[in-house]
Amino acid sequence: MSLLELKGVEVQFSGFRALRGFDLSVAAGELRCLIGPNGAGKTTALDVICGKAQVNGGDIIFAGQNISHFEEHRIARLGIGRKFQVPSVFRELTVKENLHVAFCRRAGVFANLGISAAKANADELEKLAELVGLKESFRREAGILSHGQTQWLEIAMLVAQDAQLLLLDEPTAGMTAAETRKTAELCKQLKGRHTMLVVEHDMGFIKEIGDVISVMHQGRLLAQGTVAEIESDPEVRKAYLGSGGIRGA
Amino acid sequence: MRRIFISRGHIIGYAAFALAILVVPLFIDDPYLLNKLARYLIFGILAAALALSWGYTGILNLGQAVSFGLGSYCMAMTLKLHTIPIQTGAAGLPDFMVWNNVKSLPWFWEPFHSTAFAVVAGVAFPVVVALLLGWFVFRARVTGVYVSIITLAMLVVVNLVIVDQQRFTGGFNGLTDLADLKLFGIDFDPYSSATYYLIALSLLATLMIGELVVRSKTGLIMQAIRDDETRVRYFGYDVARYQIFAFCVSAGLSGFAGMLYAMVMAFASPTFLSVQISLSIVIWCAVGGRESLIGSALGAILVTGIQGGLSETPAFLNTWMLIMGALFVAVVLFLPKGLISIVQLGMARLAGKKISALTEDEAPLPRGHKLGIG
Ligand SMILES: Nc1ncnc2c1ncn2[C@@H]1O[C@H](COP(=O)(O)OP(=O)(O)OP(=O)(O)O)[C@@H](O)[C@H]1O
Ligand SMILES: [Mg+2]
Repeated sequence: MSLLELKGVEVQFSGFRALRGFDLSVAAGELRCLIGPNGAGKTTALDVICGKAQVNGGDIIFAGQNISHFEEHRIARLGIGRKFQVPSVFRELTVKENLHVAFCRRAGVFANLGISAAKANADELEKLAELVGLKESFRREAGILSHGQTQWLEIAMLVAQDAQLLLLDEPTAGMTAAETRKTAELCKQLKGRHTMLVVEHDMGFIKEIGDVISVMHQGRLLAQGTVAEIESDPEVRKAYLGSGGIRGA
Repeated sequence: MRRIFISRGHIIGYAAFALAILVVPLFIDDPYLLNKLARYLIFGILAAALALSWGYTGILNLGQAVSFGLGSYCMAMTLKLHTIPIQTGAAGLPDFMVWNNVKSLPWFWEPFHSTAFAVVAGVAFPVVVALLLGWFVFRARVTGVYVSIITLAMLVVVNLVIVDQQRFTGGFNGLTDLADLKLFGIDFDPYSSATYYLIALSLLATLMIGELVVRSKTGLIMQAIRDDETRVRYFGYDVARYQIFAFCVSAGLSGFAGMLYAMVMAFASPTFLSVQISLSIVIWCAVGGRESLIGSALGAILVTGIQGGLSETPAFLNTWMLIMGALFVAVVLFLPKGLISIVQLGMARLAGKKISALTEDEAPLPRGHKLGIG
């Protein structure tokens, strides 16, 4: 049975249909890659799952529940974590504090009053920072991290959140080749423990980590299959026409 | 390592502050001066309360004087009913009601015969008002400057209502000629050291409560909200609840400060609910350091202290406002985290020297200072 299922999802931005009957089904434990030319609606697809964009039609089913009209925090609490395309961490807080905020076991105001910000779960959080190579920066403000480190911090935050489903929007954007390799390693480590839906442009990265690839075009699901199947699909070739082919996208 | 030094520095700072404000009455035998200092400490409570909502949660509440004013009226109502010469009318009516042809004590004045009720109401009433306003504002995801505008509008409205309802509130004059508060057999004469100690202890309690909040995970989430409100939602927190919480705690503390203020001033008036007070609190926090509770409180004491000193010195009679303005601009321009950041920097420097002597740990960086030290 699939963990996440989108059925004919519609999203409109003041008349413009960013998603036009988008279907997607992701099984538990799977690492799914989502690709498509610029403006295909990949980010919008993630937005609509985590509640950032409003559903104008269709259904989103997560773990058997229809979450189409849930508020963001409820969706998150059900077990969906999101990494944004523009890395989005709390720049004025330290790495440790960022991870602690993400480490959401109890969400209530009064429940959290009894938890010390400095002492609680410090060891666990430090291990997480170590996982993404941020141990040295553990007590530093996130604002001074490099671009790549910020991306990793955000991924570590999703792990801290312990979300069942991770939605990663271009986790390697702006990274050097070495950093991209490290990110691929990280994704492989998380594979299996978390179900992942990864939006990417970097085909090398996708080949490295992905099993099944879904291709989006103009707000729809265009094709789905392995890397080889996708690369030889004439529809996909047509969609990427003019954007330098699938490799250059 | 760094955390130990910082928090040790913190404790020393608090201890020094507590000692300083508690020994003051031993050296002052001018009741007028003591009363004035007590007032400054009350402003410290107000500033610490704003630091909670503005400095820690990013809610610039320009209507904080509503909480302050409502608290002061709650206290003033009970003190008014405890004055002897209120029986100018048939049913023991306050004098201003007699002048306004009110025949009997309005129902909402009745429970204020009880001091205990008034003390509870002085905190609870502002909290309920904040809860209602906060519910509408934060549920609707109003943010930033719009929150400030709405709270400011709220202040103006409440002020108008109080001025307008002269028959029940004393209108422009407010509630004057109040009795002293008598509690546990102590007479809190506004010029007594008993009153000063009550206020000093209240300020310390406020700072303690505030520290407990900001050092909890709830406080951490409040800071995350200040940084990036929408991001917090995707980790599963109901942001509005945290904002309402910070807003309400701040309102409760401000209400309490209002009660104390009515005591030391021996009156309550619509000037307590003025835009001017609201804006002053913002200035105190900005000067002291809005991201520090004790910094904000010190900012309030310092600014009002200098203000009081200058405005009463003949040499500065015409220029003190200018001097205050210049001080404010200078601090905001050169010390965006307020005067307290100088203290924090010094403390981190000390800690840094010790650490580098002990281990090869990273140089400690105080918040907001990106230069390497040590
Ligand atoms: N908030 C918005 N308001 C209006 N239009 C939007 C909004 N967000 C996205 N769009 C439009 O919807 C379409 C899909 O955008 P989306 O960001 O989902 O594309 P994408 O596949 O993530 O592209 P990229 O590869 O460039 O990140 C684009 O045409 C974009 O201009
Ligand atoms: Mg995108």
